[in-house]
Amino acid sequence: MKQVININFHGRVVPIEVSAFDLLKQYTASLSRYFANEEGKEEIINDIENRIGELFQQRINAGASCITDDDINAIIKSMGRPEEFEDQEQTSTTQQTKSSSTTIHKRLYRDENDKVLGGVCSGLANYFDIDPIVVRAAFLLILFAFGTGLLAYIILWVVVPSTSTTEIGGTRKKLFRDPDDKLIAGVCSGLANYLGIKAWIPRLIMLLPFISFAFHSGSWNYIGPSHFVGGFSPGILIIYIILWLVMPEANTTAEKLEMRGEKVDMNSIKNSITGEMKDAKTYASEKGKAMASDIGSASKRGIHSLGDIIGLIFKIIGYFILGCIGFAFVMALFGIAVASTAIFPFKDLLLKEGMQNMFAWGTLLFFIGVPVIGIITWIIRRIAKIKSNRPTLRFVFLGLWLVGLFCFISMAASLVRDFRASNRKSEEEVTLTNAGINKLEISSLVTKHKFYENNWFHDNFFDDMDQDTAYLRNIEIRIVQSPTDSFRVTTVRSARGRTKNEADATADAIQLNIIQQDSLLVVGKGIPITRKNKFRDQEVILTVYVPIGKQIRIDKNVGWGDNIHFDNWNGDDDDIQIDNDNNNWDEDVDYIMQADGLHTLDGKPHYKVLPDIEIDSDRSKENTL
Amino acid sequence: MNIDNTASQMRKGVLEFCILSIIKQGEAYPSDIIDKMKTANLNIFEGTLYPLLTRLKNAEFLTYRWIESNSGPPRKYFSLTEKGNAFYKELETTWNELANAVKTLSEAEQQYSNNNTP
Repeated sequence: MKQVININFHGRVVPIEVSAFDLLKQYTASLSRYFANEEGKEEIINDIENRIGELFQQRINAGASCITDDDINAIIKSMGRPEEFEDQEQTSTTQQTKSSSTTIHKRLYRDENDKVLGGVCSGLANYFDIDPIVVRAAFLLILFAFGTGLLAYIILWVVVPSTSTTEIGGTRKKLFRDPDDKLIAGVCSGLANYLGIKAWIPRLIMLLPFISFAFHSGSWNYIGPSHFVGGFSPGILIIYIILWLVMPEANTTAEKLEMRGEKVDMNSIKNSITGEMKDAKTYASEKGKAMASDIGSASKRGIHSLGDIIGLIFKIIGYFILGCIGFAFVMALFGIAVASTAIFPFKDLLLKEGMQNMFAWGTLLFFIGVPVIGIITWIIRRIAKIKSNRPTLRFVFLGLWLVGLFCFISMAASLVRDFRASNRKSEEEVTLTNAGINKLEISSLVTKHKFYENNWFHDNFFDDMDQDTAYLRNIEIRIVQSPTDSFRVTTVRSARGRTKNEADATADAIQLNIIQQDSLLVVGKGIPITRKNKFRDQEVILTVYVPIGKQIRIDKNVGWGDNIHFDNWNGDDDDIQIDNDNNNWDEDVDYIMQADGLHTLDGKPHYKVLPDIEIDSDRSKENTL
Repeated sequence: MNIDNTASQMRKGVLEFCILSIIKQGEAYPSDIIDKMKTANLNIFEGTLYPLLTRLKNAEFLTYRWIESNSGPPRKYFSLTEKGNAFYKELETTWNELANAVKTLSEAEQQYSNNNTP
C-alpha cells in the first residue's frame, strides 16, 4: 500500500506516490548541486523540470492513475543522472570534486518559517549560526543610527533567495498582472495576489493621492516631497505605468497558478517536514562520505568556508554600493522630473504661445519623462530578473525619446533666436523731487531678504512671485561721483529679442518704479515678468550720481550685494571701475563721497586693496598712497 | 586511459555540431532533437541536452520562442540566429576537414594492414 499525494509541478497537478516524490526531490536536488556553478543554472533546471512535468503528463494521459517509483526511475534513466552527463566544460574528475564540495556548501537563504518582514535577519542568523534576535537588534541599530539599515535590508530581501525556492515541486510565487480581475491593467490585483492581500488595498493606496487632491489646492509654488505624496501629481501615474510595463500578464493557467503561489494545505506541510527530515539524513550520510574521502583536506575546508564568509561580506558590500549608486541615479532622475514639472508653470513667462509651447510639452513628456520611466522599468526588471525580449517596446521608447529630443532642440533653437539681438541702450533720467538733499538712502519694496528661503525651488531670478508675475531682480546699481552738487539718478534698460526692434519694445516695456520720498529712494520689487512681458534677459542699470561731501546708504533689503558697483572718483563711467571683489562695501552703512571716492563716516575708503589682483593694482596703490 | 572516456570525449566534440545541424533544419523542441538524434543512432541523455542548449542560447547562437502546445504549458522552440548560422558554417568546414583527414588516415592504415596481412 502506498500513499499518493498531489503536487503542483510546474503548473501541472500531478498525483504521485510519496516514495516517488522523494526520488524526484533527490534527483532535482542532485541536478541543482551539479549545475550550482553554471551560468543560467535556473534556466537549465527549469527546462529539465518542465520536461519532467511533460513526461508526467504523458503518463497520466496514457491512463496511469499516479506517478510511481518506476516512472520516476524511467524518467531519470532517459534524462540521465548528473554523473552521466557529458559535460563539455570540465572533465569528469574535476566535476566530481566540485559536486562533492558543493554538498557541504552552505547557502544564504531568507528564512520563510521564521520571519518578521522578509526573513532576512533569520536567514543571516542561520548562516552564521547565531541567534536571530542579535541580527535583528543589529539591523534596528543601524536603522536608527544611519537609516541605511533599511536599504541594506531591502537589497538583501531582493538579492537573497527565499527558502521556499528550495522546495522542490512547489512553484515560486511570481508577480503577474491579473487579467481576470482588473480595472485598468490588473496591476493592483496582481500586487494583491503576490502579497496575499485583498485587491482593494493596493487600489486604495494608488487612489489616495487622487482623493487627497480634493482637499489640497494644487499650488505650484511649494514643491517638495509632498508633491509626490500629497497633492495631485504625476507620480502615482508614473508608478502605475512602470508597474504596468514591468509586470507580465498571467495568460496561461500555469502563470495564474504561479501568480497565486502554491496552496498550503495539511498534506504539503507534513510532506515538507518529513521531506526535510529525510533530507537531513541523506545530507548527514553524504557529508560523512565526503569527510571520509577528503579527510586529509579537512583543514583546507575550514579556510574555504572562511573565504566564503569574506566573499559573502564583499558581495553584500558590493550590492550595497551598487544599490546606493542605482538609488542615487533614480533619485536624480526623479529630481530632474520633479524640477522640470516645477519649472513648467513658469514656461509661459519665457516661451511664446504656439510652436514653442508645444515643443515645451514635447520636451517634458518625451525628452524627460520617457527616459525616467524607461530606466526605472529597466532597473526593476533587472532586479526582478524578468527576462523577456520586447524589441517593439524598446523601439517605441527610443522613438518617443527622439521625438522629445527633436522638441528640445527646436525649442532651444527657437529660444536662442529670441535672444539674438540686443536693444539700443540709452540713459534715462529719473526725476528726483528733491535733488539737493544731503543724504540718499536706497531702499526696496521687498521687506525681507529672500535669497535663502527654505523652499526647494528657488532661484535668484524670480525671488518674488505674485499671482502670475515673477519679479526679476536683474538690477545693477552703480554709484558714481556727481559733477554737480546735486544727486542725480539715471536708468539704462536693456533686453534681448529676435530683432533689434523687438528688443527695444521689450526694453521699453520694463517698468521699474523708482520713487523718491524725502531722503529715501524706493526701488520696486524688480522687473515684472508676465505672460505678456516674457523673460528676455531684461536688465536695469541704475546709476546714482553722488555729489562730493554728500552721503549714500544702501539698505540691506535691497539685497543686490553682487550687483552694486562703485565707479572711481573721476566719474568716467565704464572703463574705470573698481572690481566688485575689491570693495568691502557693507549694506546698511553710511558712506560719504569724497574727491577720491567713497569713504565711511570714519574715513575708511570703501574698497580694499588686494595685492594679488593684477588688474587695477597700480591704480589702487595710487589711490591709497 | 579507458575506452569509455576516450569515446565520450570524441562524442562531446561533435555534439554541438549535431544539435545545431538539427535546429538548422527548422525550429525544434528539445525532445524532437533527442528523437532525431536517436534515429541517427546517437544516444544522449536529455540532461546533457538542456545545459548545452542554454549555453548555446547564452552565446547567442540560438534563440527560442514559446509555442503553445495542446498538452499543457507552452514549449520552448529553438531556432538558429545569424551568429549561430555563421558558427555552424565554421563548424561544418572544420568537421569536413577533420572527417577528410580521419578518412584519409584510416584508409591509409587499412591499406597498410591489408598489404601486410595477406
